Amino acid sequence: MSSLSVPAFIRGIRKHGLAYLFIAVPVLAAIIFLLIPMVTSFWWSFNEYNGIQPPRFVGLDNYVKLITGDKIFRHALKNTTFFVFFGMLIGPTLGLLTALLLNQKVRFQALFRTAYFLPVMTSLVVVATIWRMLYNRNGLLNIGLAALGLKPIGWLSDPQWAMMSIVIASVWQGFGFEMVIFLAALQNIPKELYDAAAIDGADGRRKFWYITLPALRPVLFFVYVIGIIESYQVFDQVFVMTSGGPVYSTTTLVYYLYSRFIDLRLGYASAIAYVLFIILIIFSLIQWRFFMEKD
Amino acid sequence: MAAHRKSLKHVTGRGLVYAVLIVSALLMALPFYWMVSSALKMEPFIFASPPQWLPDPLIWDNFIAVFTRIPFPRYLLNSVLVAVIVTVSHVFFDTLAGYAFAKFRFPGRDTIFFLLLLGLMVPFQVNLIPIYKIMSSLGWVDSYMGLIAPQLTSVFGIFLMRQFMRSIPDELLDAARIDGCNELGVFFRVVAPLALPGIATLIIFTFMGVWNDFLWPRLILSSNELYTLPLGLAQMQMRNTSNWGEVMAGTTVTALPMVIVFLLMQRQFISGMTEGAVKA
Amino acid sequence: MPTKRTVLFMLLALLIVMALTACGGGAAPAEPAASSGDTAPATEEQPAATAVEPVTITVWDYYGESSPIVPIVAAFESANPDVKVEVQSLDWDTMLEKMNVVLTGGEVPDVVTLDMTWLPTYAPLGAFADLSPMANGKLNGVPLDEAYAAGALEAMRYDDQILAMLYDFDVYALYYRADLLDEMGLDVPTTWAELSDVAGQLAANGKGQYAFMADTFHAAQFLYENGASILNEDNTAAAFNSPEAVEAIAFYAGMVQDGSAYYWSTDEGWEVTPGLKDGRIAMFSDGAYYMGIMKDAAPEMAGQWRVAPHPAGAAGPGSYMGGTGLAIPAKSDNQEAAWRFIEYAMTLENQTGVFENAGAAPALLAALESDAVNAADPYFGDQQTLSVFLQAMETATPFPYVRQWNDIDAAFTVAMEQVALGEPVQDSLDAAAVEVDALLSK
Repeated sequence: MSSLSVPAFIRGIRKHGLAYLFIAVPVLAAIIFLLIPMVTSFWWSFNEYNGIQPPRFVGLDNYVKLITGDKIFRHALKNTTFFVFFGMLIGPTLGLLTALLLNQKVRFQALFRTAYFLPVMTSLVVVATIWRMLYNRNGLLNIGLAALGLKPIGWLSDPQWAMMSIVIASVWQGFGFEMVIFLAALQNIPKELYDAAAIDGADGRRKFWYITLPALRPVLFFVYVIGIIESYQVFDQVFVMTSGGPVYSTTTLVYYLYSRFIDLRLGYASAIAYVLFIILIIFSLIQWRFFMEKD
Repeated sequence: MAAHRKSLKHVTGRGLVYAVLIVSALLMALPFYWMVSSALKMEPFIFASPPQWLPDPLIWDNFIAVFTRIPFPRYLLNSVLVAVIVTVSHVFFDTLAGYAFAKFRFPGRDTIFFLLLLGLMVPFQVNLIPIYKIMSSLGWVDSYMGLIAPQLTSVFGIFLMRQFMRSIPDELLDAARIDGCNELGVFFRVVAPLALPGIATLIIFTFMGVWNDFLWPRLILSSNELYTLPLGLAQMQMRNTSNWGEVMAGTTVTALPMVIVFLLMQRQFISGMTEGAVKA
Repeated sequence: MPTKRTVLFMLLALLIVMALTACGGGAAPAEPAASSGDTAPATEEQPAATAVEPVTITVWDYYGESSPIVPIVAAFESANPDVKVEVQSLDWDTMLEKMNVVLTGGEVPDVVTLDMTWLPTYAPLGAFADLSPMANGKLNGVPLDEAYAAGALEAMRYDDQILAMLYDFDVYALYYRADLLDEMGLDVPTTWAELSDVAGQLAANGKGQYAFMADTFHAAQFLYENGASILNEDNTAAAFNSPEAVEAIAFYAGMVQDGSAYYWSTDEGWEVTPGLKDGRIAMFSDGAYYMGIMKDAAPEMAGQWRVAPHPAGAAGPGSYMGGTGLAIPAKSDNQEAAWRFIEYAMTLENQTGVFENAGAAPALLAALESDAVNAADPYFGDQQTLSVFLQAMETATPFPYVRQWNDIDAAFTVAMEQVALGEPVQDSLDAAAVEVDALLSK
């Protein structure tokens, strides 16, 4: 090794060689940890497989059963969509509102920003633990309701509420992230645009609709696409807070596929995974197109 | 008159803004406050109604119990070790790969990149068992190696770095080449410094992701002395559902390191996080 | 350019290291298990000269802090210098999850504590080694049918194999607040009617309620007490929507609707302990292992609680029958050493340790008759607690052994959650039965 001059070695190989060298490790890692597992579980999805005995090929059976005859899967699809819809409705909206408020030269801006952002820094296990205590039947939230003369809510034990409770805890944890992104984007909008609009006699609302929102368009797009893809994979909160219950009311797609894995139904779980994959790929393609456009 | 009315409206408007900001900031902070104060309370007062806002009597027993019964310092060490190794590895490999994908032309580039992105869309849970099988055949189950190896590079990181690198003008690179820099010189002298904000973003996302990771460590590790913080916390909760004071003390200890790091490096964190979204 | 050279060199070095570790990372092949047709009981001494490189066996233990396994390791190792034991302590849920993962992956432990309700899933898959050739009909020299009660042996068997050595057994009895019943002048309930009456009076006076739990363990008790069952006799269809079953569940859920029972939902935790401590729960049903949990978590309540047979229904007493088995994964490379450890854990002395450390009921008949196990328990007002559980074992029923058990359990639990929330009993159980029938028809 010492006899070989490294720069000379580098000079010796062609330009392409260098590029391949740069990507070698990540590509190798991706082959081992992404590609091979992906192909493996795709193959499993056409098999009945318990991980111990050899797989038995069953064609499309898993998919057919999943789509036509599985009640829990329909719950999971519904619950996940509920989570994505309300999470994406509330989270970015709150993020944008707080960003707009903070963007108006308020004092102690940094302090407020910290307060909204701090939950982003904590792990979902921590968040889920704290909220499990708040959601307790005798917890702070129900004490608060009682003080207002309202009946207590079974936050995590009532199927009507459980998914919403998970949404609330998740929004609390996550919207600070959306807020700082919006805030940064707002601060990037040239002030001259607003000045010009003011001269034209535009009021606050018009400025928002005609300047702020269009300027935020790319960022909004980023936040929603990333948010939707991430939300469709909701798992940790469910795992720690409800284990999918009560009455399947918080069983999400990933939780369901995980529980199938854990019950040694690897073929079926893989089929669920690939249904989720198709959902995600639709959103990802939208994102892909967007980035390609930008390039 | 009109001007006066406007300023009055302005003043009440500002008052309203502050009121909303303060109330919502308090609401945001409340769960954290409740976590810490519950950890300092005697057990019967944790779910007392009306709520006990200040712990009385204030006790440290729960924290003492957490530190004597559970090896939290060890968990902390494991978390730091794993997060640092993975982050350094990401910065190294993802940046180089991102650079290659952004600025080199080579056969198969777009195909390889597209395949990588496709992998990004597969939920991790899909690959869980196959990856576990691979780790097992390598003999890495229940080891740092098994915990770290699958995370040494990330497609997301490469994607992020590629986006950053693309915004660096080719003319700068060509100028450096004309000045006699070889390709590595170009990378380290021109590209890396310009991509620093992107690297900061990468560091933050990677570090936080690893720090908070739960599912993979939970599956790959079974020895207590290898546990990371979230694992330690979850285990404590499973075993000890009856004592919320201790659980909250454990939660506080788990959350604290990241909160401190954040408070010390707020500016870098937030600019790092937003850089990715706004610029990339 | 020293820096460039260094960095590049590091890159190359890293690549090489990665390549090397990727190829050479496989563990050294494990020692082939010493073949031993007729395993002798662990001998007291082995000459150090014959001791080769000791094998390490990994033991997974779900007992947590009150483990009866951890305290016996040192003594086992000094008696068996050729074996090292590494105990990994996991909680019940984590262990179930990890067990499934390692069974598919291959890096298996050598001995596991196995909840007997998990066996139905694993048994048909051949995940656990058949212990009968190792045992050869005996455990520490005692014939198996003398060592265990008939019901216990039945639970350990699958086809013609023995897949686990029962280590502790689990049947449910009634835990009640003796101090409150005394204060109110109430007798311990022995029938459903009395249960409903006593629970109602306690609740009406703010003394706490009977705990309603929507899991299969608790609900099954009411089914069995009313002569109903979960599945039909040949395990081909659901039976939990039969008239007797509906009557049983209607009674159980009715206690929630009339306020005499408190619906303890899992979001408050899997265990009712917080409810015991804050006085919400004055009576509940659970296994002997719960005595250990109470002593750990609620030492201040010493003297307030007693145990009694769970109130009988129309068909008499009843309970699910389960417990913990010690089993060896089929893929373990150290089965001989693992079996030696199991035998050691099953000695009379170590079986009484199950009661002393974990508060659980040991499975060996000899241990159940020993003085240590039958001593008066000061926490329970000097009651001989274990005799209550022993009595319950006589009429207890194991859960059906079918591969689909986990799904059946889940479907039935969901139905129980629904009735707890006030939905019609017949409809909820019928809906679950349709699901279960579909599962069983394959």
